[in-house]
Amino acid sequence: MIFNQLKKMALPNAARKLLLGVKSSFSLFQTTANAEYRYLSSVSNPKGLLSLEKEEENKVAGHKNVVPLECRFVYPEFLPDPRLDHRNSLREKLERMDMMNRRNHIDIPEFYVGSVLAVSSSNPHAPEKVTRFVGICIQRGGCGLRAFFIIRNVVDHQGVEMFYEMYSPVIQKIEVLRLEKRLDNELLYLRDALPEYSTFPLDMEPEYLPEGSAIPVNPIKVKLKPRPWLERWERQELKGVQDLGLPKRFYERAAAVAKPWEKYDLMAEYRESIPAEEQEEIFAEVYSQLHQLEVTRKIMKRKRTFVKPKKMG
Amino acid sequence: MAGCFKMAGMRWSVVRSFQTFCISPNISESLCCLFQQVRLKHQNYPRLRNPIWFVKKERTKYEEHLTQQNKSFIRDVVHDKYGGPPAIIGGVSTYQQSPLKIQPMDRGSWFLGCRRSGLIARNIGIYPMWLKDGTRVLTTLLQVVDNHVIRYIPPEEFNPPRTSVRNPKSKRRLGCLLVGAESADPQNFTKEYCGLFKDSGVMPTKILGRFLISPEAVMQPGTPLYASHFKVGDYVDVRGKTIYRGFQGVVTRWGFKGGPASHGVTKTHRRPGNIGSGGEKARVWPGQKMPGHMGNRYRILNGLQVLRVNTKYNVIWVKGQGIPGGTNSIVYIYDTFLPLRKPKEAPHFPTYYPEDEEPLPDEIYSENLHPFTAPTIKYEENV
Repeated sequence: MIFNQLKKMALPNAARKLLLGVKSSFSLFQTTANAEYRYLSSVSNPKGLLSLEKEEENKVAGHKNVVPLECRFVYPEFLPDPRLDHRNSLREKLERMDMMNRRNHIDIPEFYVGSVLAVSSSNPHAPEKVTRFVGICIQRGGCGLRAFFIIRNVVDHQGVEMFYEMYSPVIQKIEVLRLEKRLDNELLYLRDALPEYSTFPLDMEPEYLPEGSAIPVNPIKVKLKPRPWLERWERQELKGVQDLGLPKRFYERAAAVAKPWEKYDLMAEYRESIPAEEQEEIFAEVYSQLHQLEVTRKIMKRKRTFVKPKKMG
Repeated sequence: MAGCFKMAGMRWSVVRSFQTFCISPNISESLCCLFQQVRLKHQNYPRLRNPIWFVKKERTKYEEHLTQQNKSFIRDVVHDKYGGPPAIIGGVSTYQQSPLKIQPMDRGSWFLGCRRSGLIARNIGIYPMWLKDGTRVLTTLLQVVDNHVIRYIPPEEFNPPRTSVRNPKSKRRLGCLLVGAESADPQNFTKEYCGLFKDSGVMPTKILGRFLISPEAVMQPGTPLYASHFKVGDYVDVRGKTIYRGFQGVVTRWGFKGGPASHGVTKTHRRPGNIGSGGEKARVWPGQKMPGHMGNRYRILNGLQVLRVNTKYNVIWVKGQGIPGGTNSIVYIYDTFLPLRKPKEAPHFPTYYPEDEEPLPDEIYSENLHPFTAPTIKYEENV
């Protein structure tokens, strides 16, 4: 029944094929469509299945797709807000043009929630008119020119967080000191964690990853301070948190208010995501320029690493 | 209808005379109430006359059993008549056309207090931009699609249904300019609606609006209007239809706080509470905020600054985000009427004519706006 209804609904082709393919074994879909892909991307399909299908399609068509699918993780802000009553193709296009113009002046590197960043921004009140702040990225969001990220550090035993708008012209430089991911998509629980988990030295040296290697996932489990907390963390299915040590009634209540069926609501997912075909169109428009910028950045980086030992010597 | 008014008036005079001689005050009072309402309802109100362009627009579509050949023939006739194939202009599907059937009109010159035409645009969304000093401002993007002048009605002939309340016999000094936006296939519209466009040579448009203009600001019917009608730095008023919300309670409609969610409260979570006091004020005072119909009415936001204009896609960026109506809704843009923000220098008058002036750049930015093509903002050491 459900599948018959779904067939009628206006799902993108890829999603529909996917659904039909999995018709026989719904449990398989349940296991693969985990929450990890829901928030990181705006694509309605689990990455693995989609890429497999894409490969098959490509083989059939006899040509290779130019734009890699990872774009949506590396440049998530290029995907517009999926709310239908807020969308307009020309506005989105102009917004992308403005974003690319800004990116020509500042290098916005690839980073994820959990990466350690150093951001230098112009500040009229600072003595040298520049503020540099180092910290771990605990949240990243926003679409288009509204894209933002929050970095957190503990300075003089005081937790400090800075909210940066990615395309703000006062940002002078964004450096990635440590490129890694964490187990969760948001690290807001670091506000209630012991301070050592969000303490990073302000003069931290950048750690370079070997070229072409996958982004490492840091499996660290954070220990939270005892209650009271800012949020009810026990209700949020967090993976990067140690045992919370709460009385039994908290977990019972969490289980009672949990909505475990929501992640299987395909229509809700469709409403909250940009269809894969549209994503391809969007990235086809900007990818060549983004790729060019990335190449020039790599060249610059290599030059820098080559020059450095000379100076030291 | 007119007879009815007279009747009402006569009845009233009869009642007045009756009331003076009446012995029982109760009867006269009740009759008075009965007829007073009738009298107030029809007190010298002009009859509603719809403007000449208020004709039936949409046509009933029925199966005409046209063959494919017939259809293509009609399409060719339409293109020949209006001299333009379908085109996508600024992301909107419309028609590429260059009318101007009528002889060119004399262009007047601008003077302080002159009223010129406005534009019909689509609100296409909001996004942030930054000023040169690093402050973030939210800007609304208004796309001007395919605007053409349709008709001009001079002040002598223009007879609108609403006249000045203070001085109804005052001489009318403003003419009426009809402007259409987004040309569409004439087969979609009725004959009467298409007839409005006959003289201008413009294709029938989906949207038709009117602007009251000084006779000096008249433009030849068929003249295209562009986003560069407004200069960067100018102030504009934007009129639009607010989002329709239906019948709403006081919390949504007026922002009342409502009641507490718990602590023994029952059935009083979103209620208005008391609506007045007793004694002499023991009635509902006019203007009391109550539940009711919300949205779907025209509202105007005054004094928005034009920060940026894109001449390629005909988009205007205005400062502010409170423009009435949702994304993709139609808005009307006027020169502002706020006295201190009116233009001191001449704007493009009566509009921007691309053939008369030097070609404008694709993007025009306000002086205090930071273009994204400019390098990062850095503050001076000794400021």
